[in-house]
Amino acid sequence: MKKNMMITLAAALLLCACKDAAPQPQAAPQYQSIDTVPLLIQQVQQCARLYTTEVKVHKIVTHDDVVRLRGSLLKQDFNLKLPLGDRKIAIPMDATLKAYIDFSQFGEKNVERSGDKITLVLPDPRVALTSSKIDQKHIRQYVALSRSRFTDAEMSSYEQQGRQAIIASIPELGIVDMARENAARVLVPMLTKLGYREENITIAFRKDFHKDDIHRLIEQ
Amino acid sequence: MGKKNDNKRPTDWVKVLALLAFILVFAWLAFADKDNHVELGVSDEGISPTPTQIESIRVIGEWEFLSVSNEELVDTVRKGLFGTDQLVRIYYGTVRLGFDMRQASPHWLSVSGDTVTAVLPRVGLLSKDFIDEARTRAFYESGQWTPADREALYRKAYRQMLARCVTPANLKTARDNAEAQFSQMFRAMGYTTVNIRFEP
Repeated sequence: MKKNMMITLAAALLLCACKDAAPQPQAAPQYQSIDTVPLLIQQVQQCARLYTTEVKVHKIVTHDDVVRLRGSLLKQDFNLKLPLGDRKIAIPMDATLKAYIDFSQFGEKNVERSGDKITLVLPDPRVALTSSKIDQKHIRQYVALSRSRFTDAEMSSYEQQGRQAIIASIPELGIVDMARENAARVLVPMLTKLGYREENITIAFRKDFHKDDIHRLIEQ
Repeated sequence: MGKKNDNKRPTDWVKVLALLAFILVFAWLAFADKDNHVELGVSDEGISPTPTQIESIRVIGEWEFLSVSNEELVDTVRKGLFGTDQLVRIYYGTVRLGFDMRQASPHWLSVSGDTVTAVLPRVGLLSKDFIDEARTRAFYESGQWTPADREALYRKAYRQMLARCVTPANLKTARDNAEAQFSQMFRAMGYTTVNIRFEP
């Protein structure tokens, strides 16, 4: 008797479920997107920067975490990797680095003229990460059944760490030296148009840079 | 009664003693030796980035005269059968206004005595890539979102920043600043009269 009642109840529930699902059209979209008005913060700054060098870089940020059983028993430490607890993600990203000379404080102190010779003494070049792009299409992630997927906050955190890794690698890229050389390539044609012969033009910088100085010249 | 107790087999005593020993060992592990502990956790050792690869290097001659830094809060909402999903992200970008010297005409600069005349290229957007997407902050997420959804949010942030920053007022400010900075530079080089014009 009891068994028959259970079967009847189960059949009734199944019928109800089928009744709810039936009117849903198969091809129709199951959701609609609504975009709301964004909040905006803006900072406007007047400047005079001559960008002389552009470097495009690529990096893949990988992250993996596993579930571990850690502890201590009878003064014996153990740290065991549990099966089916892995998560892995690889995020490809591209960034553009640009080196520039700041001309906002450029004045007579930066110009030395002697007859038909001219020397421009330029301030230290600086480097900025002007843009970055996450290759969303080629992000790959592998998540074990027992784990939750990567959240947007986690992925953003890895991307920010990748960005910092790119900034940290700037001294090894030699972009500051390139910026100094390229400044001459940009400014010398301008000075020749002003009537100076190329051999009479000198583009000079304040001093040679050391690796420690370069860190100071990077915009974070 | 006494006869029943005497009939208790030796294996029963072994079981009782084993249970007692187990309880004592468990109590000792739990209370006496404080160093014993077991925990289940996720081992997170941060990211492992590959070395930074240089894809291209080029000499440029871009003058920037106005930069507009933006923080844009962009969200998208999805209404489904089982509730509403939402994804909110904060994008950062800097729109740079100025001109590229490669666009200058061959005779953009001329000198006559102590007078210099410069015809500068039109002031506009220096680079189409101005969003620093790797700096993006996740603000709120409910539901499951795909890379295509994030790409759509990026494009929305891009359009909004562009519309807000590349305005006639900002372009005029950049143009005025360019005129002032070039005048200052040529005066520092010894030219008393400086004429600055922009290409139409």
